Amino acid sequence: MIYGDKKTGIIVQGATGRQGAFHIALMNEYAAGVGGKGVVAGVTPGKGGQEIHGVPVYNSIREAMKDHDASVQVVFVPAQAAGDSIMEAANAGIELVVAITEHIPVHDTMKAVSFATLNGCAVIGPNCPGLLSPGEVKMGIMPAQLFSRGNIGVISRSGTLTYEIVDELTRAGLGQSTVVGIGGDPVIGQTFVDVLGRFEEDPLTKAVVLIGEVGGALEEEGARFTDLPIVSYIAGVSAPPDKRMGHAGAIIEGGEGDARSKIARLKSLGVPVASRPSEIPRLIKEIM
Amino acid sequence: MKLLEYEAKQVFSEYGISVPKSVLIKSPEELQARINAIGDSFVLKAQVDVGGRGKAGGILMADPATGTAVARELFAKEIKGLPVKEVLAEERLDISQEYYLSIAIDRSSKQALILFADAGGVDIETLAREKPEAVRRVSIPVIMHELPPFMLRELLGRAPKEVGAVINRLYRAFCEKDALLAEINPLVTTPSGVYAADAKLIIDDNALGRQGITLNRDLTERERQAEQHGFSYVELSGDIGVIGNGAGLTMATLDLIEYYDGRAANFLDVGGGAEQERVMHAVRLVAGVPSVKVIIVNLLGGITRCDEVAKGIISAQIDQKVIVRLAGTNEEEGRHLLGQAGYRMLDTMEQAVKAAVEATR
Repeated sequence: MIYGDKKTGIIVQGATGRQGAFHIALMNEYAAGVGGKGVVAGVTPGKGGQEIHGVPVYNSIREAMKDHDASVQVVFVPAQAAGDSIMEAANAGIELVVAITEHIPVHDTMKAVSFATLNGCAVIGPNCPGLLSPGEVKMGIMPAQLFSRGNIGVISRSGTLTYEIVDELTRAGLGQSTVVGIGGDPVIGQTFVDVLGRFEEDPLTKAVVLIGEVGGALEEEGARFTDLPIVSYIAGVSAPPDKRMGHAGAIIEGGEGDARSKIARLKSLGVPVASRPSEIPRLIKEIM
Repeated sequence: MKLLEYEAKQVFSEYGISVPKSVLIKSPEELQARINAIGDSFVLKAQVDVGGRGKAGGILMADPATGTAVARELFAKEIKGLPVKEVLAEERLDISQEYYLSIAIDRSSKQALILFADAGGVDIETLAREKPEAVRRVSIPVIMHELPPFMLRELLGRAPKEVGAVINRLYRAFCEKDALLAEINPLVTTPSGVYAADAKLIIDDNALGRQGITLNRDLTERERQAEQHGFSYVELSGDIGVIGNGAGLTMATLDLIEYYDGRAANFLDVGGGAEQERVMHAVRLVAGVPSVKVIIVNLLGGITRCDEVAKGIISAQIDQKVIVRLAGTNEEEGRHLLGQAGYRMLDTMEQAVKAAVEATR
């Protein structure tokens, strides 16, 4: 298990919003099913004292942590305030922030991630679906019914594409140890390198699927870093340069980060790269 | 959003960076009346957002005698397909030395990356590839308000100290203006000081509101409509309309279309929680693209309710064929609704893509 397990207590920031409230219920449904701790408290400044699906809401993360044992915070706060929420959590002693929020200005993310790092707090995201360790813990918004427990790690810059690939793995009898959505923004906290580092320490994980897309070079950095057997899929082979393909980070700039050269570099590092998502289970079976 | 040269120069000069004397004209006739402000020898620069503008004929030399005729020539041009609506008439500088300076966001170090080179007016990617030692670089932690002197020394090499002041001013502008890129190429020294001879500034789309920018000019009309509905939309040139949820899945759908030798007309990510009305708007928006012959809808997710999506597709009432791949809750109801209305619903994205490509043949 990486980043957390059944015993991990979760606080949700932005608990009273539509998204926050909805996913508190789903995370706790999952926790109930696996006998986990789940979401122990919510935070929305000015809305302390309420309850959301039976979870008490506090005005600040410090207040919530006084009453509850939690090490993880999941952020659903709107974009312009989300950077602040990440820093508040890190300052209060949270060990891991999972930032679901999309459209956070990148300068805010740089500051928040830097602040969190200085406080010894890891950030997953922003603009991510969170993570799920089947049978253990769900932190975020991934649809649990597609997952099955096993020994394949998955790291992805995407949301729904991850579900698609997890579904393919599950159908092929390849269960997952932990699936981590690291986020679709240009600047993110935990990168492929960081998550691969955690997988290397995880006795459950035997191989890793690395789902990347156009923009930057984080996939190659990850592949170069790890000794674990990995296979990859890169979205955006057909993406035109200088156009943002939905994700703020999915853009080919100055000739850097296009899918074909990314795939070529991964292949030169000995990483099998699937040309379609449906090829991934076969490639995984070949390297295991 | 990309600012035009004159807008970027305005911002840079607010931060104390010297820029050449200039006037912005919207027609050739305006030049004569305002020429006194810029001197006897000047350049006319088309204000269009393209790289390699000079090589494409977007920058012309002129003097008071030839000015209006040259301006007329420039306004009549198309620069890499873009019409010239505004021209910056700018004094010609007496250049001693040219440099390259840029600040961008480095994804790997999660910091600002500053590049500086002793050659200006260059294509920095080419220079970095062919003469990597000519490009000096530093990453600066976000907690710093300015570069420590050692970093300036590393960047500058033999370049004069005044250039270092420009670097710090540009860094301040970069941080305060929510920039993704701030570039001066060339940065020039002259007998009267250091000037930004060209300027480029890209503002983070997610920070336009707090930067006081209400309209993102980089978007086409249809992209803007899509944005109002909360969709991410990119126009492409093929004949298969694409609607997906999630950027990665939608991109993967486009890639599969290409894999099966089809051509996508667009990228449309409806985002999370695709309910009836959103789906209807998405389908209508894509159906409104004249080149679209068939539309593929590829939605997957635990939260997505297939019956809602089906109702959205049916209520859009469009002429083109729609091929649907849905996975989520209420899948059976969705399939039933679509079947009754005569739509095809397929189980996997590969089946759906193949069917869509076949439909365009």
